Amino acid sequence: MRIKSSKPSLVDPDMTPMIDIVFQLIAFFMIVTNFEQTQADERVKLPEDELAQPPIAPREQELYINVGFERDKQGNIIDPTPYVFSKEGAKTAQAFASELQMEARVAQTKKIDPKTMTIVIRADAETPTGIVQELIKLAQDNGFEKFALKAKAKALDQ
Amino acid sequence: MKLRHKGEVDKIEAQMAPMIDIVFQLLIFFMLTLKILAPEGDFNINMPIGQAQADEDSEPQLDIKVRLLANPDGTLQQVLLGTRQLGNDERVFDRLNGEIISIVGRPDSGDNDFEVEIDADYGLHYNNVIQAISACTGKIDPVTKLPVRYVEKIKFAKPRPQSGEAQ
Repeated sequence: MRIKSSKPSLVDPDMTPMIDIVFQLIAFFMIVTNFEQTQADERVKLPEDELAQPPIAPREQELYINVGFERDKQGNIIDPTPYVFSKEGAKTAQAFASELQMEARVAQTKKIDPKTMTIVIRADAETPTGIVQELIKLAQDNGFEKFALKAKAKALDQ
Repeated sequence: MKLRHKGEVDKIEAQMAPMIDIVFQLLIFFMLTLKILAPEGDFNINMPIGQAQADEDSEPQLDIKVRLLANPDGTLQQVLLGTRQLGNDERVFDRLNGEIISIVGRPDSGDNDFEVEIDADYGLHYNNVIQAISACTGKIDPVTKLPVRYVEKIKFAKPRPQSGEAQ
């Protein structure tokens, strides 16, 4: 009579389908993750427009300026004064002049002409236009000439 | 002498556990860093230094002036194309777009010398300016659903003083 071996049989689960799915998920998240918009400030509620299209070719040199209001968690404005949000905190447009001056100096030390740099303005939909114009003027005073105004791409009515 | 079974092949199994650990860590990282943001577009404006002053002396021949007047609360009071009043209702920017097309002539040409100057009150909400810029630069083709741009040159007029809103 044949006696069965007492060694417990080890059943290896097939990992291949799970690894396939996990790799597909990683590929999906890597593609969807947008690292380019890290300079965007969430407090800024951009205006929407159908014609606002992302640039065809990425710009080589750009400087982001986020202008908006301090908002609560529900998105309501808690301070009516518009601020420029930068790494150094919230500043008024006039107080931001020193930072623009510094950016122009940094560009020059890197042998970059400020005229070739694009100032990307992300301004809140309710910001007074005069503030945006003041910022453009301050940037011009520091040698910047190219500007881009950001807007959220509005979905087209089908 | 014990003979090895001929058909038996030694199977070396690769250790999957470390790879799965890393892969799951990567997956969790990408899931946590994912931010779903609406796509953003932009409107380019060129503001060469000293242009505002130069324009006062020698006015360009193909300049279109759009004046945006604001109410004290920052809402739109009136849109003026040159001296023509276009109103302030929700269709005003469509009318502005139509007027710009009639001035430019051929909307599909794209390479014309027209330049639009936006002159807005200090307190006007910025979304009105974006709508005006959009109405002046182009439109969405109703058939192809693609943007058609006919004025590329947009500039701002000299900033108006904060107190001089009501004009």
